[in-house]
Amino acid sequence: MNDHTSNTPYGRLAAELATSVTEVPGVAFLRPGLTDRLRTALPRSAPHSAGTAAGVRLTRPDGEGPWHVEIHVVALRQARTVDVARGVRDAVGHRLGVLAPGEPRPRVTVTVTGLL
Amino acid sequence: MTDPIEPPHGTSTHEDDDELLPCGRLLSRAWADWEDQARDDRSRDGEAGDAHPRNCPHCREAVRGLDELESAVRGLRTETAAADSYDSEPLTRRIMDVVRLELRPGRPLPLGEPAEDLWIMEAVAARTLRSAAETVPGVRAGSCRLRHVHEDGTVEVRLDIHAPLGVPLPDFTERVREQVRRVADRALGMPTAAVHLRVTDLLPPTADDDREGRTP
Amino acid sequence: MVGAPPDTRPDTDDALLVVRAAEGDEDAFAVLVQRHAPALIQLATRLLGTRTEAEDAVQDAFLSAWRRLPEFQGRSSFGTWMYRIVTNRCLNVLRSRRPTAPLEAVGDVAAAEHSTSPARITEGRDAVRELREALDLLSAEQRACWVLRELDGRSYEFVAEAVGISQDAVRARVFRARRCLTQALGAWR
Repeated sequence: MNDHTSNTPYGRLAAELATSVTEVPGVAFLRPGLTDRLRTALPRSAPHSAGTAAGVRLTRPDGEGPWHVEIHVVALRQARTVDVARGVRDAVGHRLGVLAPGEPRPRVTVTVTGLL
Repeated sequence: MTDPIEPPHGTSTHEDDDELLPCGRLLSRAWADWEDQARDDRSRDGEAGDAHPRNCPHCREAVRGLDELESAVRGLRTETAAADSYDSEPLTRRIMDVVRLELRPGRPLPLGEPAEDLWIMEAVAARTLRSAAETVPGVRAGSCRLRHVHEDGTVEVRLDIHAPLGVPLPDFTERVREQVRRVADRALGMPTAAVHLRVTDLLPPTADDDREGRTP
Repeated sequence: MVGAPPDTRPDTDDALLVVRAAEGDEDAFAVLVQRHAPALIQLATRLLGTRTEAEDAVQDAFLSAWRRLPEFQGRSSFGTWMYRIVTNRCLNVLRSRRPTAPLEAVGDVAAAEHSTSPARITEGRDAVRELREALDLLSAEQRACWVLRELDGRSYEFVAEAVGISQDAVRARVFRARRCLTQALGAWR
């Protein structure tokens, strides 16, 4: 993990979100290396401004607009996959609401990259 | 020096380390004849074969080294024959450890409603759907491709299967389709519009096929 | 017998597994690895000389295959494809072992390394050991062609395909290899 980003506000936020995701029932773990390999149609912000906790990518694509949080997660087969993804989305939205109360509602994209 | 006689196999590239035997033949030709005879299973007695290699002392001497080499080769072949005794499990594990860490490029397919922005990678969903198909006894699943239909946010499944010989196909394929649809909905929550099934082979059943549900 | 028992329909099954592995099915690939590793380890050990190096080469070959699977059109069988990949990987290892200067008077080299002893018995295990050592005298290309032809028993056509040269070129290399080996073994008598 890049040390120079983990202590930025973004970095710490991403780490907090990562923790909240791992607590969601049905989540096995977050997929590492998200920022290296994420395929997204969204314009990328400069690499250093994005949070880089494994499996969490945090950007603000429209300058001062809402956050965009992208999560890559490996889920457990026992749970219904869409329910796990919804749980992750809700956990992230809730956590951001607590940590950054003044922010407009974020866009949260959840991608299941594996099933265990 | 006159040009050497062209030996049968077009081995003119041998010129630099080839040797002209006193009988006029090239070493490479004597050796090629030896090799043909060594590998040929058919008896040559009845054929109008070339008697020279058998009768010529120079050619016989020229291949003596090959015979000696051959017995050492047989020994080395036996010594290095590992195929039956090799335990490939540790190597397989090491390889799979790396494979499982690699992220294959792939496209995401939607879960739930379009507005929810929830996705699953194609390869992951495909694994689940292949397993679903294989819960029907006799099915072996092959290619499984998923296509995101942007207009309504659904997924189109294209699945190849091998089906068992002797079953009435339309009923059978409908069973498989049903399984795939059911699992796509219940296990994944992926909105499936259509399941296109293609039977790519018909196979006689094996002992495996009696088991209900293949483990992935 | 260690590992999973062999399937009763290997060829069909291989093709199916390859399709699935190309689409990202890792478990399918694991079965292919288990199934083909023994023969490939045998090949690589014969080419490189040691089991350890063979395992490294075969591991690299399988990882390369995993990444290239989506392009593998199935024109040949998976086994043949892997055989080709392993052969070429071993060729690279062999080439990196030695400078590419052409071999001079091979007989002299062999004689200088071994004291001549008239009473020396060169049969059985000694001959095999000497042969194994003599293989190190060959160039990478000679060794590869000779091993595939003599130890693995492949046709000239197959060897040509695997190494990527003409059949005539294969014959020439096998000839030179035999020259070198017969001289090396003969020099110790």
